[in-house]
Amino acid sequence: MLAKQKLTDHFLKDKMTEQIKLSELLEQIQDTIQTRFDGEAFWVEAQIMNVRKQAQSRRCYLTLEEYDNGNKTAEARGVFWANYYNQIENFEKVTKQIFKDGINIICKVRVRYHKVYGLNLDIMQIDLAHTLGTLELERQQTLERLVKENPKTIQLFDGVYKTFNNRLPIPLVIGKIALITAPNSDGQRDFQEETKQNKHQYTFSVSEFLTTIQGDNAHKLILDQLKLIEKSKDNFDVVAIVRGGGSQTDFKPFDDYELAKCVANFPIPIFTGIGHDRNQSIVDLMAREQKTPTKVASLFVERNFEFENKLIELKTNLFDLVKEQLENAKKELDNAKRIVKLSSPQAILDRGFAIITCNNKIVVDPKTITVNSQLQTLLKNETIHSTVTKKTKNEKRLDI
Amino acid sequence: MKSDLTYNDAFSKLEDLVEQLEEGNIPLDKLSIKVKQANELIAICETKLRNIQTEIKDATKTATTRPRGKK
Repeated sequence: MLAKQKLTDHFLKDKMTEQIKLSELLEQIQDTIQTRFDGEAFWVEAQIMNVRKQAQSRRCYLTLEEYDNGNKTAEARGVFWANYYNQIENFEKVTKQIFKDGINIICKVRVRYHKVYGLNLDIMQIDLAHTLGTLELERQQTLERLVKENPKTIQLFDGVYKTFNNRLPIPLVIGKIALITAPNSDGQRDFQEETKQNKHQYTFSVSEFLTTIQGDNAHKLILDQLKLIEKSKDNFDVVAIVRGGGSQTDFKPFDDYELAKCVANFPIPIFTGIGHDRNQSIVDLMAREQKTPTKVASLFVERNFEFENKLIELKTNLFDLVKEQLENAKKELDNAKRIVKLSSPQAILDRGFAIITCNNKIVVDPKTITVNSQLQTLLKNETIHSTVTKKTKNEKRLDI
Repeated sequence: MKSDLTYNDAFSKLEDLVEQLEEGNIPLDKLSIKVKQANELIAICETKLRNIQTEIKDATKTATTRPRGKK
């Protein structure tokens, strides 16, 4: 009896419960959300994940996530519709980094709920100043750490970073180059073209160390190539790290601490031409920056040209000086010859003077001559033999 | 006269002799010897100067090669 009653109560209760369709329920949710959020926009800070860009349809789907001490505390789906897709392009252009997973952004969103697609946040704008500020903060922190942890090899003087590497003397003549670049890239092509077809016709031996220059692992790959070069450092005069043309995004690898530290301490002068014009990357600051691959190659060409000019100048100066010195020596010698010639006894006789000898000795002191001494008076063409009969002193100095 | 003198040594000796000749410090009986010495020094200097000129000419030819890195 009791069991039968229970069954009846249950049936009645179910009968009394109002049933609605799922769509009706979700429509109510949709209406509620629309009423609450219609026309309203919010600036939210979140980390972007699961980024799926559809360049063709100009849409981007992602999730906006929030973390607290590593624990996810909020997540919502987000979407850039075609009319806002330019926000992503602008982000990449201005911040020089790819719009990808893991980036923290502040964006303007509208709340939208659809009974089939659920809750979505339509993203209409990205706060670029925030991203730039975050990037700059990270950059400054890396720079400060580099100086603090490498005091002997990285120093900051009047806003200029002096590193072991960028203080290395540049070789007077550059012949052997280690080139780090991406395969089949504009940077590779531009650099090779300039070194091969330079106006002065210098030849360079360029060894390529090809690697990915962009992307999450790029800094590690570039680091590997530098280590490889270091193993055969005697084979290279300089290192060039180049990328260029095309994409102006993702300079993040060049702000990496470990890569920058390696560049700052590298034993061969490093030149960078990583093709950006807004800011210098940290690697640029640790090495010698030339902006573009072509400019790096041109610098090497000009360095050799400068050396050749100096050499020509030195050669000319040397020859002029030597010529002058030889001419002077010849003049001095000629002068000495003339004086010696004039001083010879024969020259004295030629000029009409005579030399008196006595017992085959030139008479210098008249005291050695006495009366009856036999004298020979040597003239230019004849010798007069005579005997001294008288000696007198000259009363005054002869004026001859 | 030793011919292994350097040009500078030979010319320095010659200069001394010339100075003595100019100042008339050489007694007449020593004049012939001094003039002879001076002439020997002149001969040494002239030979050395000619050799130096030839060496420099040769060095000039060698120095016309282009620096490293150039075609």
